Amino acid sequence: MPIQASRPRYSAVAQAFHWIIAALIVTQFTLASMAEDLPLGMHKLALLARHKSFGMTILMLAVLRLAWRLFNRPPPLPAGMSGIERFLARATHGIFYVLLFAMPLTGWLMSSAKNYSVSWFGLFTWPNLVAPNERWFELLKSTHELLAAVLFTVAILHILAALKHHFWNKDDVLKRMLPFTKSEKRS
Amino acid sequence: MNNFRALGLIAGIAVAPLCTLSNAAAAAGYSADAAQSRLEFTGVQAGAEFKAVFHKFTAAVDFSADALATSHLDVQIDMSSEDSMDKDRDQTIKGPDVFDIAHNPSAHYVTKSITKTASGYSAVGALTLRGVTKDVPIDFQFTQTAAGAKLEGSAKLKRLDFGVGQGEWKSTEMVNDAVKVGFSLLLKPRT
Repeated sequence: MPIQASRPRYSAVAQAFHWIIAALIVTQFTLASMAEDLPLGMHKLALLARHKSFGMTILMLAVLRLAWRLFNRPPPLPAGMSGIERFLARATHGIFYVLLFAMPLTGWLMSSAKNYSVSWFGLFTWPNLVAPNERWFELLKSTHELLAAVLFTVAILHILAALKHHFWNKDDVLKRMLPFTKSEKRS
Repeated sequence: MNNFRALGLIAGIAVAPLCTLSNAAAAAGYSADAAQSRLEFTGVQAGAEFKAVFHKFTAAVDFSADALATSHLDVQIDMSSEDSMDKDRDQTIKGPDVFDIAHNPSAHYVTKSITKTASGYSAVGALTLRGVTKDVPIDFQFTQTAAGAKLEGSAKLKRLDFGVGQGEWKSTEMVNDAVKVGFSLLLKPRT
């Protein structure tokens, strides 16, 4: 009986980056939507303080993740994928990487523009990137919200694509990113 | 005759303190040039500092290094001129729970005593803020200039001592109790 060569999986480091950042992003959407319609008060300040701390955590993780990614290629896509599918996969992953930086950076900029400096869990304060300016704040806020909408859309596509690979194509694309599983060649 | 001498003595005693006063070095009078003076405070909100200024205030200063006993600083602040460079926050700060400017449109600080320190001067004065008067010490430096003088300094106070923060703003979880005050006054001789 021939021994099935184990198919390349995402490494433990890649999986950790993926799932930790994914969980933080879900948290960010939750905190932002909870804070959005509140009047300025203790509750809103507390929610936004957490949102900013998590956001800066994502930015730091994004720097590490990108650095790590530059020296560690992901496992190849399944052989049967068409050109357009490969393009879509690369494009969505590319957009994710851009957003991992753009979301926290626009958030940091809009905090600076509103003269609300960003503290990291009360441990230290990040420097302001721009001088307080109401018009810049409004512009940056719209940008941050637009990017959030893009992120949400791409994330839905990403999840649907992973499920399609798993249940429709029956390949290992989803499983190779899941911890505690083995990627065997499925028929 | 005796009566006249007695009267003269009494008059002498009565006038003597006045002479001592006028002989003592008088502090020079100044007022702050509003356009080139700055009064700011720094609060801590959600772990991060924010700065706000008062655009309108008047400061009358009588100061001479060799006449500290007669020197004093008197500052009147228009609370509606508070500006933290964010409308939303300013609205809350001027509102009933924080400065309550509708009932307390101005704050007042007047020194009671000034003493020389190693690096400059320190003073204790009465601050009236949001209707509460309490002593607040300040540290400052006084520098004579060609056109007048410069007075720069700082103070630390606790906002809740003055009731600045009612309702949910009484909590110090998101907004610290400690507030720093900084001032830089360009003084011109009072005419």
